[in-house]
Amino acid sequence: MKTRIAVTGIGLVTPIGAGRQEVWEGLLAGRSGFAPVESFDTKAFSVHLGAEVRGFDPAPWVRRHDPASMGRASLLAIAAARQALEDAGLDSESVEPERAGVAMGTTSGEPREVERFDDRFLAGELDQVGPEFLSLYPCHMIAAHVARELGFAGVNTMIPTACAAGNYAIAHAVDVLRAGRADLMLAGGADAFSRITYTGFARLGAIAPERCQPFDRNRKGMIPGEGAAVLVLEPLERARARGARVYAELAGYGLSCDAHHMTAAHPEGDGAARAMERALADSGAAPGDVSYISAHGTGTPTNDRLETLAVKRVFGAAAGRTPMSSIKSMIGHTMGAASAIEAAVCALAVAEDRIPPTMNLEEPEDDLDYVPNTARGHRVDLAMNNAYAFGGNNASVILRKCEA
Amino acid sequence: MASDHDRRVVITGAGVLSAIADSAAGLHAALCQGKSGLKPIELFSTEGLGCHQAGEIRPFEPRDYLGERNLRPIDRTSRLLLVAAGQALAAAGWTPEALAAGENEVGLVLGTTFCSVRTIAEFDRRGLQLGPSYASPFDFANSVINAAAGQAAIWFGLRGLNTTISAGESSGLAAIGYATGQIRGGRAAAVLAGGVEELCFESFVGHYRAGRLCGSHGESEEVPVPFHPRRNGFALAEGAALLMLEDAEAAAARGVPVLAEVRGHGGAFAPRRTREDGAGAVARAILVALEDAGLGPGDVDCLSVSASGSVESDLWEAVGIATALGPRAADLPVAAIKAQLGEALGASGGLQAVALLGTLRDGMLPGVAGLAEPAADIPLRGAGAENRRVRARWALATSLSADGHASAVILGAPGAASGVGG
Repeated sequence: MKTRIAVTGIGLVTPIGAGRQEVWEGLLAGRSGFAPVESFDTKAFSVHLGAEVRGFDPAPWVRRHDPASMGRASLLAIAAARQALEDAGLDSESVEPERAGVAMGTTSGEPREVERFDDRFLAGELDQVGPEFLSLYPCHMIAAHVARELGFAGVNTMIPTACAAGNYAIAHAVDVLRAGRADLMLAGGADAFSRITYTGFARLGAIAPERCQPFDRNRKGMIPGEGAAVLVLEPLERARARGARVYAELAGYGLSCDAHHMTAAHPEGDGAARAMERALADSGAAPGDVSYISAHGTGTPTNDRLETLAVKRVFGAAAGRTPMSSIKSMIGHTMGAASAIEAAVCALAVAEDRIPPTMNLEEPEDDLDYVPNTARGHRVDLAMNNAYAFGGNNASVILRKCEA
Repeated sequence: MASDHDRRVVITGAGVLSAIADSAAGLHAALCQGKSGLKPIELFSTEGLGCHQAGEIRPFEPRDYLGERNLRPIDRTSRLLLVAAGQALAAAGWTPEALAAGENEVGLVLGTTFCSVRTIAEFDRRGLQLGPSYASPFDFANSVINAAAGQAAIWFGLRGLNTTISAGESSGLAAIGYATGQIRGGRAAAVLAGGVEELCFESFVGHYRAGRLCGSHGESEEVPVPFHPRRNGFALAEGAALLMLEDAEAAAARGVPVLAEVRGHGGAFAPRRTREDGAGAVARAILVALEDAGLGPGDVDCLSVSASGSVESDLWEAVGIATALGPRAADLPVAAIKAQLGEALGASGGLQAVALLGTLRDGMLPGVAGLAEPAADIPLRGAGAENRRVRARWALATSLSADGHASAVILGAPGAASGVGG
């Protein structure tokens, strides 16, 4: 008998706000987080929109360490981690440190630190590079900083599997808990808005000039973003014993690799389909049991088309009657944080029986139920969270309603 | 700890590219012969820095290993990885035909600290210098930290799980632990696991300025020696090393020989960066691995440590090992292969594990090159320059990253489990 895993806490920092309640209400209301990029000058680009986290103050969250001693993604991650612990009715003192671990995902780690290095390199000021580059830049510092801030001494894992990384981290936390290697895991993802990421997606022609329109036939691309999400995961039995609120059960997951192309998805959705099938099998569920699909739904022409194809392939006749939406239409593509934020949204959808919309959807490209433009009340017993990444990495996670 | 032991995980192949050897068997032999990979750096200029040596892989002609396929979109990190992955797959009998066959899926769990920070930085600098429209899409695809794992998946057709793990010097052992968990859990039957790291300017400057390199501190540059009383840093290095891990029954069904088994693994973190905290994390990682393996401290026949010449980490790791193993630690034979290879970061754990395969095969554990006697506060008194003949049933590999990640992996010789009840 597998140990059942509960989601008992949610922490969120996104382009439309911070905190579980604010973000959830914003998503149900269709709020947009897009604005001209402020963190660097975009005048050399033909696109200018981004989904940045504005006015973020780390001070309330980063208490044990100097915020200047860590990069932005770490700060965002700590804010989400502290929120999640508080949301779960826990603090760092109520947890046995050796039995508490951290698993985080990211695309770029702390890209601003390598950008600072490059600025100095090009200015002929490499002698200005000090010890901080190595203590700030490596991506594993995100999970390390979260653990240092909270004093967590258990398993500490950083999984940089790009835009599917949040799901990978959550999946790993499930395994750690099921193997009895920890009593509590903080799992999620974080990424900081980055010149490098923006340049790359602009070069690929993948950034939308005005808005993000997943699954619309006139969609023009994604909007790069930043953010962080952390879930508190613990064995269901322990959660119930301490009287914790359980948002959802983390029922299972599936991973696969396209082994096809670094930046383009498999033309028949092969890897995406295998990840979904595996997650269903791991959860003991059939496609017809799924009541909501949180799409990867970036808004790029190829992703959305192939994702629809893969869902149809796996779900067959059930595809058309399973609501599927993309919150990237509102908060943009927050990279390594994206699937963690979406997993949190799945947990809330399961807990509250509401589904956030796909905004800016005027002419659906296909005949699936993309939950256009308006949130919907809908019983959500089982939610599937899909994420796909550069490198052909695919990860699907399934959350299930957990009756009291 | 709950058991996830329904399945045993065996090693059916290995691959290595390092500064002293370009095969798994060659690595153990070169270590036992006392070869050093440290040499003056030619990959980039070290002008203005007080350190000029590293474990650079030179000469490295990728076509000698990878044939005529298009290497243009593949950066140095990925090229190093492709060489090691190709060896490990071939050693385990995973032919291109077998990999392409219907239901067969081989996964990859890759440890790395930076993937290619050189690729990332060059992409950024090109965009800054020439404008964003001149930035290279090839480089952008390689700028994600899972790029090398993705490139290897495409090159060989690895359609199983594909996970990149970053934990600094502990990345490789953590990747082996993660892959072991995936196989035990029935999520994969065959997974390549280990790590890769390339030597590049950006990483070198970072380590130099952080004071971590032997030579960072202004004094004359010596050869770094782990556990040495006067150690003052390590030599940076590069490499790739992978194990082919398989479900024991699946490997038996394929009829491939078993080189060793992964018997247990453990991980922990040191959030406070003190000697007590670092040693405690190492000790807990080892104790979890021993419990996972169903073994006690007295069962450990030999050690491979991540000690590199680092002032603090060498000590903390040694104290942690002594804490976990008790009196057994005092005279345990110890290998510290970074004395010859340097610190290859994400590749190091894989190199430790692959080198131990040689020890489990022929009973010879390489000595710690250049170490007459460990510093007085190092409790591992069995560390010394001479190669040691050991009773090689169970080998323990440990690592502690500069940022606090501790990992432990226990490898067993084929048949070693016959006395452990299963």
